Amino acid sequence: MNKTIIININSIVFHIEEDAYETLRSYMIDIKKHFGNTAESKEILEDIENRIAEMFSEHIQSGRKEVLNIADVQEVIKRMGKVSDFQESEEYNDGFEEPVFPGNVSTPHTGRKLMRDPDDKIIGGVCSGLAHYFVMEPRWIRLLLVLFVLIGGSGILVYVILWIVMPEAETRADKMVMRGEVPNLENFKKSFDEEVNSFSDNFTGAGYHITRGARTAGAALGGCLGLIGKLIAWVMLLVSGSALVGLFIFYVFNLMNLFGMENPMMFPPLQVLSTDEAVIALTFGFLAITIPILALFLWLIRVLFKAEKLNNYISLTIFAAWIVSIVAVIYFCVSAAQDFREKSTINVERKIEVQKIYSFSEKDVRVLDENEKDSLKSRFNMEMDGLNLRKRLHSSIGIHFESIDSLSQPFIQYQYSAKGKSYQLAAQRAGEIFYQGIQEGEAIVFPSHFLLRNKSLDRDQFVKVIVYLPRGAKVLLDKTLDNKVRDISIWDCRNNYSEAERQKVTEWTMSDRGLVCSQAEPEPEPEQEQDTHGAVGKADQQQKVVDQQRKDSVINIEAPNVTIEMKDNSLRINTNTTQKENAS
Amino acid sequence: MRKGILEYCILSIISRGEIYASDIISELKKAELLVVEGTLYPLLTRLKNNGLLSYNWKESTSGPPRKYYQITTLGREVLTKLDVTWKELLFAVEISLKERN
Repeated sequence: MNKTIIININSIVFHIEEDAYETLRSYMIDIKKHFGNTAESKEILEDIENRIAEMFSEHIQSGRKEVLNIADVQEVIKRMGKVSDFQESEEYNDGFEEPVFPGNVSTPHTGRKLMRDPDDKIIGGVCSGLAHYFVMEPRWIRLLLVLFVLIGGSGILVYVILWIVMPEAETRADKMVMRGEVPNLENFKKSFDEEVNSFSDNFTGAGYHITRGARTAGAALGGCLGLIGKLIAWVMLLVSGSALVGLFIFYVFNLMNLFGMENPMMFPPLQVLSTDEAVIALTFGFLAITIPILALFLWLIRVLFKAEKLNNYISLTIFAAWIVSIVAVIYFCVSAAQDFREKSTINVERKIEVQKIYSFSEKDVRVLDENEKDSLKSRFNMEMDGLNLRKRLHSSIGIHFESIDSLSQPFIQYQYSAKGKSYQLAAQRAGEIFYQGIQEGEAIVFPSHFLLRNKSLDRDQFVKVIVYLPRGAKVLLDKTLDNKVRDISIWDCRNNYSEAERQKVTEWTMSDRGLVCSQAEPEPEPEQEQDTHGAVGKADQQQKVVDQQRKDSVINIEAPNVTIEMKDNSLRINTNTTQKENAS
Repeated sequence: MRKGILEYCILSIISRGEIYASDIISELKKAELLVVEGTLYPLLTRLKNNGLLSYNWKESTSGPPRKYYQITTLGREVLTKLDVTWKELLFAVEISLKERN
């Protein structure tokens, strides 16, 4: 037997056993405590009470009883949920308290904030952040930035400043504000993100199945593509890897070159720069080419071996180094090109003694000849004061011959020319060229190279030598000058001599039109003669046979076109071939 | 995340037509989204206070009059937005799941 209590829930009367009542009461008190005392919670409580009343009346009707016992109450509590359940659900409602579904959604731009977007970034997400702010596609902003970088590099400064000024959109809320989206959606997404980990286990909604279907389809396709992709990636890895090694070797050897250890691996454009500059330019050039390849290489490694991503700061530094290198390379190219802008020529005239015959030859300044010690040529034996002789010896020399009046004093004009940033610099460089021939009697000797004083840089230095000789003068040109003499060809003249190979000196005469080869062209040997020679050879053999038989008779041999008439020891040969040919 | 989904589901269920709270619960129970009824009431109240839902009192054969909930026009607007968001999320999840493989 139990004591019953009469209670009133939402104006419905229930009979309830005492212990059941106690349970219900403490339950309701807990709920009240939980929801507090706001207008909202009052309504919630009302709803809950209503529902409890409803459930009780269901129990009474279905159980055909009049009194509610503890089992009924417990069942209701179980369906309603304990206060701890409420708390749980309340926890994930926390973010919801604030601006829940604000009715006015039509203000997409007001909330936009300038922030860096970490989800869509190449360097720091500055560009995509700007793009969000101005409602543009990030690529246009990036294009603009690249343009600014190329035009004087101002883009780099702008980027760095923006990077510092713009905060990163770290949280979901930041990102939504950055994109100017409505925060209620934001809440939705945010909560999704936060609990996505615990989600997959107990979520049985439709989305999961859809995802799974898509996943298997994607996996099949991905597996197929993945194999080809992997193969390509491996090939690219090998190529980029060997390119890196090659570039490094190239770099080291060039550095050695610049520091004086000569080797054949020299990058020609570097010679335009002074050694200090060349080292810097080489290093920057090396970085500018290597870094993109290195990036590709690392990326491939990351993809293929699932390695860790490079630290952001490191990759950033590398990228910055790359940008700087490119700028530096451009700078060196431009500055070097600038140094070729102006050209200056210095003319110097030297008289030479009048001679009947002028004999010109060349002295290879790199050859030190003991025998020539006291001779004229020994005067060119150079005093070498450094290792980099090769860098300072130049052979761009052109020798021209011009005629002057037969009675005038002969002279040689030297035109030293060089290039430079300014005319003054070019002239200074031209002045640093040292080149002069030496006359001793008939002999005039030109050195094979000219020397640059003061370690001048290579700036298209050129020496033009014009020898003015009176008309009628006899000139001997040594074959060594062949590669310096312009306008005329010693080689052609040499070929006129019967023994061209051994002919060292060619003889020329100065005429109105310049030098003319004294040796007349050998008259082309008449074809007849040659032809006969051949015929003789042929005839000879036949002759021998005949010869043995008869000696004193006249023999006519019926060779196709040849008639050989032989009398005693004299031989006359007539060929019809040439006649025929001539006739035809 | 469940809270967001819960609201989304509740709105979807209610958008089909007038419905009683305990019927909503039975649907949600099927989906194992919500097991106890008590948690539903705060949600409904909040949605109603935000103007997404409204309710009518209807007499009941068993017990006190019942509150029947129905969606408002604003509620529908929000629901269509949530539909879009949901699709975005599904896409995002699909992509991240695919990459997990």
